[in-house]
Amino acid sequence: MITFESVTKRYPGGTVAVDELDLEVPAGQTMVLVGPSGCGKTTSLRMINRMVDPSSGRILIDGKDIQQSNPAILRRGIGYVIQQAGLFPHRTIVDNIATVPLLTGWTKQKARERARELMDLVGLDAQMARRYPHQLSGGQQQRVGVARALAADPPVLLMDEPFSAVDPIVRASLQDELLRLQAELHKTVVLVTHDIEEAIKVGDQVAIFRPGGKLVQVDTPQRLLAAPIDSYVEDFLGFDRGIRRLSFLAADTLDLDVDAIVGQDATAAAALAKARKAGAHWLLVIDSERLPLGWIAAGELDSTPADTRLADVPLTSDHGHTFRADTDSLRAALDATVLSTTGQAVSVDDHGRVVGVTSYDRLRAAIQKADDAARQAAAAAAGGVPAA
Amino acid sequence: MSWVFANISMLAHLTGQNAYLALVPVLIGLVISVPLGIVCARWSWLYSPVLSITSVLYALPALALFVVLIAYTGLTDTTVMIPLTVYTLAVLFPSVVDGLRSVPEPVRQAAVAMGFGTWRRLAFVELPIATPVVIAGLRIATVSSISLVSVGELIGIGGLGYLFEDGQQRDFTTEIVTGIVLIIVLALVADTVLVLARRWLTPWQRGAGGDSRLPILRATLRGRPGAGLT
Repeated sequence: MITFESVTKRYPGGTVAVDELDLEVPAGQTMVLVGPSGCGKTTSLRMINRMVDPSSGRILIDGKDIQQSNPAILRRGIGYVIQQAGLFPHRTIVDNIATVPLLTGWTKQKARERARELMDLVGLDAQMARRYPHQLSGGQQQRVGVARALAADPPVLLMDEPFSAVDPIVRASLQDELLRLQAELHKTVVLVTHDIEEAIKVGDQVAIFRPGGKLVQVDTPQRLLAAPIDSYVEDFLGFDRGIRRLSFLAADTLDLDVDAIVGQDATAAAALAKARKAGAHWLLVIDSERLPLGWIAAGELDSTPADTRLADVPLTSDHGHTFRADTDSLRAALDATVLSTTGQAVSVDDHGRVVGVTSYDRLRAAIQKADDAARQAAAAAAGGVPAA
Repeated sequence: MSWVFANISMLAHLTGQNAYLALVPVLIGLVISVPLGIVCARWSWLYSPVLSITSVLYALPALALFVVLIAYTGLTDTTVMIPLTVYTLAVLFPSVVDGLRSVPEPVRQAAVAMGFGTWRRLAFVELPIATPVVIAGLRIATVSSISLVSVGELIGIGGLGYLFEDGQQRDFTTEIVTGIVLIIVLALVADTVLVLARRWLTPWQRGAGGDSRLPILRATLRGRPGAGLT
């Protein structure tokens, strides 16, 4: 665990880079520091490995004041990844990765063995071991940077804008890679970025800073999107936070409609009766395996001879995008609903069989339910005192 | 041509002397430039005043230096080598500083963040990365030092410069041309050795677009230092 206790960094001349920062980074979690340039996020990061020393306040790692440690020794126990990777141009990939183990006195052979393990871990081809950094692409270099930071297996990993120098596609794959690694390694990660999307994607918690080195809000991405503390945070999160936060709400809370579903062997009359009973304008037609076929409008059944099998009636529209209520988020459900011509989306199971149908009304109810639950949880966390 | 064969042992001796008088100052210049460059790269406010001093020294005419030095060191090799050392220093010292400054900031930061102390960082990161720039300076210093040795002929210790003096007095062109050719050959050999040394010392630069220009041409393009003419 990393703890900031009223940490201030004031430069000669009076500029305050970080102002009375109190922050706790739980062990094994990813904390993202985010904000515009000049908000003190990078300075805060660099104070953790004493690249910058605070003017006042204390920083503790696992309860130990870092000011009491020798900086070089402290740093060997903290992985560090920077924007341009900062690889040593004169060393091969394998020796770049082996840097910290070699510094801490491992034998060359053991350090290189460890480096090769790490190349595998971060998804680098073993053939690259003997190459030099300039022979690699930007994305590959950044992977080497991550491998180098992890080489001595430090419990803490600091990442300073690690993915901002690569193109969006490579950035997305590196972010996924970080999530995968973190699920496996459980490091205490502090990551600095100016990209709120990145923060929300990779952070267990996100700390939002404002210019002048003030921390404004620390919360899980989900709570941040649901309840920004002020208009600054709200603006910073962007205009579509309402939709983005749905990524964090599971679709399994949806109350799916199972009444407006009809087999293709049913007659038009039976289907019409079913639609009227359910008050539905649309019926989802399925086959004998429960696979979706498409939508038929209740209005069209009126003009269809009563004993015609649905299989012989032309469908009004195809079933559109499906989603998985058991594994997807409400955002995926909403997306499928928006894309559907009927304003309803089909939820399927892992074999593609229809489970039920959702609509805007049902989505709204599910969001409401999630918000109520979150409010109750927050009230309980605040000691059972209900919020005013 | 027959004159050359008749005097081959004298020519060999003069060439050896020229090499000795040129290379010892380069070596001493290197030994002084590296620590001086390190100090000036670290405390960058020092760089400008120190550079002014070395530039002024570079502008001193060799003849004037000889006159002053003879009083202390007499008509010896040392009297020739001291000005050459000063000239080497003037060329090499900025190269060392430039080389150290060529270390990219993210690389330096990464080294600090990984727990390199000051000295280890210098030895294992900064100096190796500075090597190509330092060797580029060393090549210019070496080639100019080899050609500048002739100036020592003013006090009778000038390596191949003797051939110019002697050839002029005897109005014997062959001797002068031979001197020029031998100086160029000596410079080419020394430069080739340095290029090979750079390749061996900086394997990461292979295929990364090193300097492929002819050594002599390069020295010419950079402005061949002439004693007292700067």
